[in-house]
Amino acid sequence: MRVHRRIIIAVLSCAVLLGTSVRAQVNSGESIPDVTRTIVLTNARVVQAPGQIQERTNVIIRDGLITTIAPDAAIPFDAIEISADSLTVYAGFIDGLSHTGIPEPKEQPNRERPDNPAYPPDEEAGIQPQQDVRNLLDPKDKRITAMREAGFTAAHVVPRGRMLPGVGAIILLAGDDANEMVYRGETALYAQLAGARRMYPGTDMAVIAKLRQLYREAARRQKIEQLYAENPAGLERPQYDPVLYAMFPVLDGDRPIFFNTESVLDLHRVLAVQQELGFPMVLTGLTQSFDAVDKLKSANLPILLTLELPKEPENSEQEQPSDSTEAAPTDAAAELPQIAEPSYNADFRVTSLADVAAEKENLEARREMAYKAHVGNAGMLESEGLTFGFSTGSAKPGDLLGNVRKMVEEGLSEDAALAALTTTPAQILGLTSSMGTVEEGKLGNLVVTKGSIFDEKGEIRYVFVDGRKYEIEPPKKRSEKTADADVNPAGTWSITISTPGGDMGGTLTIEGSDDDWSGSLSVEIEPGALPLEYIVLDGNELTFSFDVPDMGTAESSLILDGESLNGSFEVPGLGNATVSGTRTSGPEMSTQHNY
Amino acid sequence: MKFKLLFLSAAFIFASNCLAQVPTGDVLVRGGTVLTVTNGTLENTDVLILNGIITEIGENLSAPQGVSVVDAVGMYVMPGIIDAHSHIGISNVNESSAPVTAQVSVGDVLNPYSIAIYRALAGGVTSSHVMHGSANVIGGQNETIKHRWGLLDPDELRMADAPRTIKFALGENPTRVHGQGSNKRPASRMGVEYVLRETFAKAQRYQEAWAQYEEEAKSNPRAISPAYNGQLEVMSDILTGDILIHCHSYRADEILMLLDVLGDFGVNQITFQHVNEGFKIAPELAEFGAGASIFADWWAYKFEVYYSTAYNAAILTRNGVLTSINSDSGELNRHLYHEAAKSQKYGGLSDTEALSLITINPAKQLGIADRIGSIEVGKEGDLAIFDRHPLSIYAVNQKTIVDGITYFDIERDADDMRLSVDPESPIETTVLHSHDDTHQCLHEGALDLYDFLESN
Repeated sequence: MRVHRRIIIAVLSCAVLLGTSVRAQVNSGESIPDVTRTIVLTNARVVQAPGQIQERTNVIIRDGLITTIAPDAAIPFDAIEISADSLTVYAGFIDGLSHTGIPEPKEQPNRERPDNPAYPPDEEAGIQPQQDVRNLLDPKDKRITAMREAGFTAAHVVPRGRMLPGVGAIILLAGDDANEMVYRGETALYAQLAGARRMYPGTDMAVIAKLRQLYREAARRQKIEQLYAENPAGLERPQYDPVLYAMFPVLDGDRPIFFNTESVLDLHRVLAVQQELGFPMVLTGLTQSFDAVDKLKSANLPILLTLELPKEPENSEQEQPSDSTEAAPTDAAAELPQIAEPSYNADFRVTSLADVAAEKENLEARREMAYKAHVGNAGMLESEGLTFGFSTGSAKPGDLLGNVRKMVEEGLSEDAALAALTTTPAQILGLTSSMGTVEEGKLGNLVVTKGSIFDEKGEIRYVFVDGRKYEIEPPKKRSEKTADADVNPAGTWSITISTPGGDMGGTLTIEGSDDDWSGSLSVEIEPGALPLEYIVLDGNELTFSFDVPDMGTAESSLILDGESLNGSFEVPGLGNATVSGTRTSGPEMSTQHNY
Repeated sequence: MKFKLLFLSAAFIFASNCLAQVPTGDVLVRGGTVLTVTNGTLENTDVLILNGIITEIGENLSAPQGVSVVDAVGMYVMPGIIDAHSHIGISNVNESSAPVTAQVSVGDVLNPYSIAIYRALAGGVTSSHVMHGSANVIGGQNETIKHRWGLLDPDELRMADAPRTIKFALGENPTRVHGQGSNKRPASRMGVEYVLRETFAKAQRYQEAWAQYEEEAKSNPRAISPAYNGQLEVMSDILTGDILIHCHSYRADEILMLLDVLGDFGVNQITFQHVNEGFKIAPELAEFGAGASIFADWWAYKFEVYYSTAYNAAILTRNGVLTSINSDSGELNRHLYHEAAKSQKYGGLSDTEALSLITINPAKQLGIADRIGSIEVGKEGDLAIFDRHPLSIYAVNQKTIVDGITYFDIERDADDMRLSVDPESPIETTVLHSHDDTHQCLHEGALDLYDFLESN
């Protein structure tokens, strides 16, 4: 990168003066920006829209907007110049639906069951259509950074909750305070088939019944309001109800319900109630929708497909010679039989109950087919002529690009994938005039990559949000798993667990060797040690799970780097806690352990 | 996966022909012993089903071109079995948060992927009355389904236009859940009656309020309707006779209580479910016109179910009570024909009476006897074909036909008939014996019983 000398001085002095924030806002009190807001990407390959590519072009971003896209565009004197000869510029990705920027609620001490579970307060029952997500945004939420690193520049975010968690907003994935992030509010009402705990509505069928009740009664209340507005004489005063009144924009057709579905059964149920009541709707989630393509087609609704994919099943190794460390690796490889793809036999009937191996093989093949169907869902929808955007839901940001690539591998075209990340969510969310493509006059939301975004080796180098530049460090390369891996997790580790509620110290103990690890975790607030289960070392990544009393099973993923480790614990209901630590003793054994 | 593709393509063809109509088939079942249930036993008789409807019953029928023939020579052809009390094929059973949940319906959460539907077919069951649970005095609405295994749209499971039904429950369950569980009414059998009377009275007032509004709206365009109440809408439909009651109950006293309550509110369509003490009050049930849907010999699983007898079916039947035998179970529903046969050992019912308990009688209790429950021309083509008389302990179901389509065929009963597989599901393995295999089969999650027994 070549930077004009003046700019260097400006940047340096500014960085000293202001610390991290180098942005001046158009609408803020600071009238004169302290640093240039002009950036030029030179000689870039620009994917303006899916299938629409310009080679060797300059892209100028000024004051948060894309101002010029032209091969010979003069470089403004005040521009930070990024030589993009080997880089590709895409429109910033738009997340159709997620809770990005909305922290998970802190652990609630055992709340008392409402006095009458048949008629609980709406808020406790998860019925809060009046809640505005803009009041819940936390610019420090770690998912914002993680999503940005995955190429996302804007997101449609909705509150967390149960049946009707509230109203969403479009946010830009950058900003130092919540208001700065908001691009547009009051986008949609979020809904899901998620019952309340131990109170009405507890089940999916009760959520559906409750939705009917709310919708029909809201329609009646709206009519009364209209009558009263026309002429109050002779009418009893209509009484305000925050929940019912929050449904009015939906009744008017002005505010769609973004209804999340987590299975094809959800899909059928949600479509049925939507067709019965007739509210405007965008379907989201759509896991397993390959089983309901015709219904999706005839429903003809905007759809957002989740980028969450199931874990790839681990099939048992089929019979092969047992590993021998004596044999030279090259010879062993030559002699290994080709492991055939497991093939499913639909007519399969075991001849004997003892023939477990054959039955298991068949079941694994079936499971493999199911996995492929899930990964191939996007491609199937495309081949059926359905247009969809992507939502990220609760998928891990680090998995998103990989999941898109898997979908492309299983039949989704790259253009459709890019459209699902950019133009289609822009259409569904009403953002086409400002986002979704690389065009002059649009927001400076860009993803700059080395190599194709769909290539496994493609890397995101920069992300621009609202004209603000973020340089993305390539993710830490995990060392390949090799026979002589010198990573040994054994020993005692002193760790720090960072949660939204504060930091917590702990001790992690790992014993054993190779595929036979055991261990325990003790943390400050929990008496006794928690035993670790399913400990797997893959390259330098150590994964395990442990049961947290009263919470469920937590999953852990830690990257080992010599005597230090970094990673996260995922605790059900609490979300991610970041973990860092150092080894205080061990490993006792040599790092070589071939037996 | 082939079978699923077949089903899918079949479903697609029919869906594109006529939306909202389920697929039907043509078949000629040839030469079987036909147990019509309503018209005696016909030897060497053919049954022709066209477009899912029985069009002809007789000897030496010829199959129209293109109609497949099922050879039933030496076999017994009976009407598809109807299970009047089941909880298969639904994702939710109980909305137990409130003592009255008339507004919810299990029909909103049908699950066509439930393997229990296929297993029911294997036992010759072609229809199930899938019910809300018994946690509440007035539970949710039920759904009558046909076992069209392989159709993936929940709507295609519904028996279209079957009468609406609702679940009520008396006794220990609602008093335990709400009385002991939430310290709410009902905490006693008296409280159950209170909840019933209170809710019916509210429904009457709701009806009156709407009638008044509709009257006023004729002259006043600014008339304001009563608040919408989904629960009382359903209760009103019970009062007007549009919804049939199916009530979980055991004890004679509480059954008589409910008959009193219904009499007071002018409701007369009810089938009692379980009714273990029905034998004590059979004349009263018969006089009211109430049905009884019972277990053959299942009891003593809680205090209120101790006073029971296997003669219940015979006593009720002989006293003129419309009686059926149900499963309430994803296991028992696979041998309802055995359950029906028990009424012959305990009470000596005739073959036709015994078969009626699982065919035409439940059909009458569900209000669908004009469509299924017997083998008659004009009825829907739902059949089960057994290798021996279905009341024989040796009988094994061979084929089950719904709407003229063979959905179960013992010859094509593969090990894995699931319609959907969770890609993240573990594959559990249980090795029963074969010590030599352990080195191959003892992987994570495997339980080697042989080893286990040996070491103990």
